[in-house]
Amino acid sequence: MPRASVVGAGMTEFGPHDKTLSELFAEAALPAMADAGVERGDVDALFVGNTLGGTTENDTHLGPKLASHVGLAGVPTQRFEDACATSSNAFKHAVRAVESGPHDVVLVGGVERCTPETGLDTPEMTKAFVSAADRQYEQPAGITFPGVFGLLTKRHMHEYGTTEEQLARVAVKNHANGTLNPRAHFGKETDVESVLDSPLVADPFRLMDCCPFSDGASAVVVASEAFADSFDAPVDVTGIGHATDIVPIADKERLTATHSAREAASQAYEEAEIGADDVDFCELHDCFTGAEVLATEALGFFADGEGGPAAEAGRTELDGEIPINPSGGLKAKGHPIGATGTAQIVELTEQIRGEVGSRQVPEATTGLAHNLGGDTATTLVTVMEART
Amino acid sequence: MSESDPAVDRFLEGSDAGLTHTAWKRALREDVLLGEACADCGHRSGAPRAACVRCGSRELEPIALPTSGEVITETTIAVPPEGFDGPHTVAIVELDAARIMAGVEESVDIGDSVELVGVLERDDEPGPLFG
Repeated sequence: MPRASVVGAGMTEFGPHDKTLSELFAEAALPAMADAGVERGDVDALFVGNTLGGTTENDTHLGPKLASHVGLAGVPTQRFEDACATSSNAFKHAVRAVESGPHDVVLVGGVERCTPETGLDTPEMTKAFVSAADRQYEQPAGITFPGVFGLLTKRHMHEYGTTEEQLARVAVKNHANGTLNPRAHFGKETDVESVLDSPLVADPFRLMDCCPFSDGASAVVVASEAFADSFDAPVDVTGIGHATDIVPIADKERLTATHSAREAASQAYEEAEIGADDVDFCELHDCFTGAEVLATEALGFFADGEGGPAAEAGRTELDGEIPINPSGGLKAKGHPIGATGTAQIVELTEQIRGEVGSRQVPEATTGLAHNLGGDTATTLVTVMEART
Repeated sequence: MSESDPAVDRFLEGSDAGLTHTAWKRALREDVLLGEACADCGHRSGAPRAACVRCGSRELEPIALPTSGEVITETTIAVPPEGFDGPHTVAIVELDAARIMAGVEESVDIGDSVELVGVLERDDEPGPLFG
């Protein structure tokens, strides 16, 4: 099967930005186009992810607006919304579009504003986020997203003995990685005691177990196999998996399994003809520390129940056997919802090119991204590899 | 399909209509928890759907769920969404093999027995409250 490649990447710093969605998107899209060396006329289509703009800013139909802002008015556009998995789904469709023929070069990215710069306070933004949970059978209970992952993680603790200290180690690691990433929302180290002493959000999660509300944008240029060779540093997309799971979470077969992640990983590994052991590093969806533990098990890095002990033993640190979230992850890099998926693709691209300086994973030739949306209802898993 | 249950039928809008959200809400406001049982795979759910979430079967029988059961998992939410006062507890409760998400009046642990004590009302969408 012909393969797509990422030939250009760009992203903003994640954190508070007093800028419009269009302005933010341009700060990722124009550097991505410059990195690829493409201009108006070279780009066949724009695929873009944004989750909350309609709810929080009365701003929809973003495809042509963002295309106009970056000089691409006239190209076909498509806007995607899949909760926190929004822009990895946009990326998947860009990849499939260049693999199957309709386009040769696609600009794909995501943009979101979630901080108080939007004029919304924490309760208002928490309510906007929870629109991704079941409207009739979950939201009336007063659930939040820290609460959804709190329910899954408390069950994991009950079944396997996972501890709050093990969860805290995830936050400590991702904060340490974040200090090495100039685009990270948080650039400060923390320690287990500080995590455990931070205020409760939804037990077992304290403030320092949770990713922040961030603003930001990310974008990459995807090219078809026929075009990729003409670019300087193509990084190949060798496998993508995409699966969903039952909503509401109460009806899932196993609360701790994150089934959509297992199914998406299985698809991605099969397409890339690799296994979990072949992955050199991974960017995964650590919206909460417990989510990282569940994901490392679902992706096959550790057996069920071993994710917590593995984090505690340092096996997922930058110099561990499988570095997880070298960028700092959602926890430290930040989580502008619709921009997170393609930001993971930016990190995979730059790690595999060997461009990330002090957070570089040695011999990073195979990277995996795991982007999860809603109450573990959507997951996309992407495998990228160095061109050989 | 097994014989209809008068305790369920009085909330339904017709014998063939299946369980609608409107009927589910009306029942909950009278302290009756309705759900569906799949005639093909046996899955029991407290969230009415057009097809079984597990196997896709359309053979779903409206059922009344027990109003007491066991806490499968729980969390205490200290940072609530707009419209709720924190802290409050949310749990997954198992009621004769059907699991639902519900509010809980007080702090509980996994394995605790709880029973339906009332209804949470926000924006005309009721949710079960256990205690």
